[in-house]
Amino acid sequence: MLGDWASLLIYLVFAATVAGSLLFLSLAAGTRGKREGRQKAFAFESGVSEGAFEPSNFSINYYLTAMLFIVFDIEIVFLYPLAVVLDELRVFGFVELCVFVAVLAVGYVYIWRKGALQWK
Amino acid sequence: MVDGFIVTVIKGFALVNLLMGFFAFMTWVERRLIGRFQQRLGPNRVGPAGLLQPIADLGKLLRKQSMIPTGARPRLYLLAPFVSLTCAIGAFGFMPFGGLATIPGTSLTFHLYMADSNVALLFVAALGSLGFYGLLIGGWASGSKYAMLGGMRAIAQLVSYEVAFTLAVIGVLIHARSLSFIDIVHAQSGWYWYILPQFLGFLVFMVAAVAESNRPPFDLTEADGEVVAGYHTEYGGMRFAMFANAEFINAITLSALAAVLFLAGPEGPLLPGPLWMLIKTGLFLFIFIWLRATTPRVRFDQLMSLGWKLLLPVATLNLLVTAFFVVYGSSHA
Repeated sequence: MLGDWASLLIYLVFAATVAGSLLFLSLAAGTRGKREGRQKAFAFESGVSEGAFEPSNFSINYYLTAMLFIVFDIEIVFLYPLAVVLDELRVFGFVELCVFVAVLAVGYVYIWRKGALQWK
Repeated sequence: MVDGFIVTVIKGFALVNLLMGFFAFMTWVERRLIGRFQQRLGPNRVGPAGLLQPIADLGKLLRKQSMIPTGARPRLYLLAPFVSLTCAIGAFGFMPFGGLATIPGTSLTFHLYMADSNVALLFVAALGSLGFYGLLIGGWASGSKYAMLGGMRAIAQLVSYEVAFTLAVIGVLIHARSLSFIDIVHAQSGWYWYILPQFLGFLVFMVAAVAESNRPPFDLTEADGEVVAGYHTEYGGMRFAMFANAEFINAITLSALAAVLFLAGPEGPLLPGPLWMLIKTGLFLFIFIWLRATTPRVRFDQLMSLGWKLLLPVATLNLLVTAFFVVYGSSHA
């Protein structure tokens, strides 16, 4: 099994080589611009540029989504091994799964009612 | 290694190049098809039927002036497309194209897949998610408010659909009892393709896959009326093309994944495995292109409620129903 990861690593090296060579070529093969073209190096702005953009405050929705993602993704990580052995666990596994999903469903209904799933 | 070191290196080299070649070919197919959908011809000047268009594009993109915006963090700005593209190509590594193959005229055999692992599916999801960093880094390092907004938006969209996506495939795992692609394909032999018992899961998977690869109608990250071009607003030339390349290769990977999980991948009568894999992947890619040509872009709050309020409960329901039938039913051995 470890050998399979070695072959995957070889593949990943090739993948990184392709991406790296394209990045290198974009720097090496591009035409050189004239020095006076400073204006076009400014970031895109519809109207007068205020200089570089400093990231500051962001809508709470992004943070909320990230937290919900972590909660549900960890749930799914727990479900994966259960799904693989469910056929052997039979009824015990199914009841276990139902209890797990029921606990989550309570939380899910709660965040829904609280409006966390509504993008504002 | 399933084969020797030399053979593995040759296979890795071949797979990366075939994937890039297939990507180039599919960009031509997409542009031709979109042309047809819109009552025009599409690119038909370079080479026979415009087939050499991708090569002409490559030449043009490489010669574009290399620009780094004044407000950008140069190192991260350059790193972002590299991360995206490496992860996109890397995620394709576990795709199976068949079992053991013999080189004609000799007794040499080799396997038609790079590697097999009991966590292959998890790995594809993990490397796909790692690629999100490319978008976030690119959006942040550009030093532009539209790029920043686009990057944030991309992450919010991608993580939301990651949940539905990973949940939708659990039904398949319950049936196949493995995360290895080879085992999943084997479990579907004898025409027991999971698209039928897992149709609900398949639908959720497809919707999530379109959103995961940022393709229309879920291309909110580059909604030009709102965030100009999203996280790649400040990118041009080859570095922009690398983002576009990564996005399309993600679509190819997800199509191939759909083919493996729901249509038994390389299994099929008469034709050899790799050809079946190509046909099935192509079928899903056609659906992607078809959707792009015929659907308008959804609104961002619609996108989020679809992911969280519809796909997530439906995928969970699908999981419970599948578990019930596998445990209590006799449909499966």
